[in-house]
Amino acid sequence: MTDGKSIFIDTTQCIACRGCQVACKEWNRLMPEKTVNKGNLQNPEDLSHNTWKLVRFSESDEEKLTWYFFSDQCRHCLNPPCKEAADKKANGVIIQDEKTGAVIFNPNMRINQVDFREIREACPYDIPRMQPETQMMAFCNMCFDRLSEGLPPACVKACSTGAMRFGSRKAMLEAAEKRLAEIKGTYGKALLTDPNNVRVIYLLVDDPDEYHKFAVAQKPFVL
Amino acid sequence: METASCGSTNLSDSSLEINPDQVKDKTQGLWTAGTKKTYSICPYCSVGCGVIVHSSGGRVIYTEGDPENPVSEGALCAKGAALSQLVNSPERLTKPKYRAPGSAEWREVEWDWALDRIAQRVKMTRDKTFKHTSKSKVTEKGVDGREIQFEKEFVVNRTDGIVSIGSAGLNGEECFLLQKLMRSWGIVYFDDKTRT
Repeated sequence: MTDGKSIFIDTTQCIACRGCQVACKEWNRLMPEKTVNKGNLQNPEDLSHNTWKLVRFSESDEEKLTWYFFSDQCRHCLNPPCKEAADKKANGVIIQDEKTGAVIFNPNMRINQVDFREIREACPYDIPRMQPETQMMAFCNMCFDRLSEGLPPACVKACSTGAMRFGSRKAMLEAAEKRLAEIKGTYGKALLTDPNNVRVIYLLVDDPDEYHKFAVAQKPFVL
Repeated sequence: METASCGSTNLSDSSLEINPDQVKDKTQGLWTAGTKKTYSICPYCSVGCGVIVHSSGGRVIYTEGDPENPVSEGALCAKGAALSQLVNSPERLTKPKYRAPGSAEWREVEWDWALDRIAQRVKMTRDKTFKHTSKSKVTEKGVDGREIQFEKEFVVNRTDGIVSIGSAGLNGEECFLLQKLMRSWGIVYFDDKTRT
């Protein structure tokens, strides 16, 4: 499937206000987490079954101090490896929405720890999480309920700088390529993250490792 | 009917082809369906982003940015996005807390007690620091045409002992009432965050 919807995240416009992170929690009615201060502004520390969208902060002070913001979430792969792994375990735990291409977990199905670990390891971006008590998997579902009623995802709607954009995959790819061409002169290292394999495309201006270990796919896509 | 389009977030490329006779309430299938929508303004800072408050049975169940608001076009920051927590959070304080001078403990007190206490303290500080007059240097021309400098006493009726700061949550009319009250007490140092 190559059409459907896409999200384009231009990290050069992100001010890390975390409006997307909170909007996601509000719409999906996710519970807050008790966290401790780890010395930077990232909070909570990692994605969880209650945090599907997380703005990651990282710093580099090699030559001059650079601050990287990375609004992490499920990339909604065109051919999701997690779904492939899940189908071998229990068919229907992860499904792909036909119209939009969103990769969705099934909230009515339970899965055991061992199977879940395999599914998580299959993900090139380390996204799937599980609620240990209910054994329910959880990660970003692109707000497919909102999409089916004609509303944009909650995170995109909340974005105040226009760093997050949502639309047809074709339009988003065009926007991403256009923006990349615009800033290529200023940022020589600028790149789009795996635009041919995923629906959530980031525009980065430096080495992806500086942003987050899993900013780009850590495992090859088998097509 | 709520519109989803806000600039670059146009959802459907074929949205213009919808037959108006078949247009339904777009929020029908959502968990917020059937709620009362009230259009409001985020109370936190001076930007004043538009907010749609979804309520049901007199309770706020969800808040989101108003895409038709010309100020914010549906966007909200982290604080504004969590607006429903302002009324719904179990962590919210519902009673004033008091820490006595020198104490490390906060204790819950009644509003009546707290307001009386504030009134007593304001009165005490004002009585102690109130100035009827204040001296200032002035320069005037004497009878012979030369400038002379001397100290003159002015009636000021003010207190330098109290400062009022707040609040970003006030609107223009409330700020007017607050500054009127402050001036009537003789307080000259007051400011609020709404203009920043």
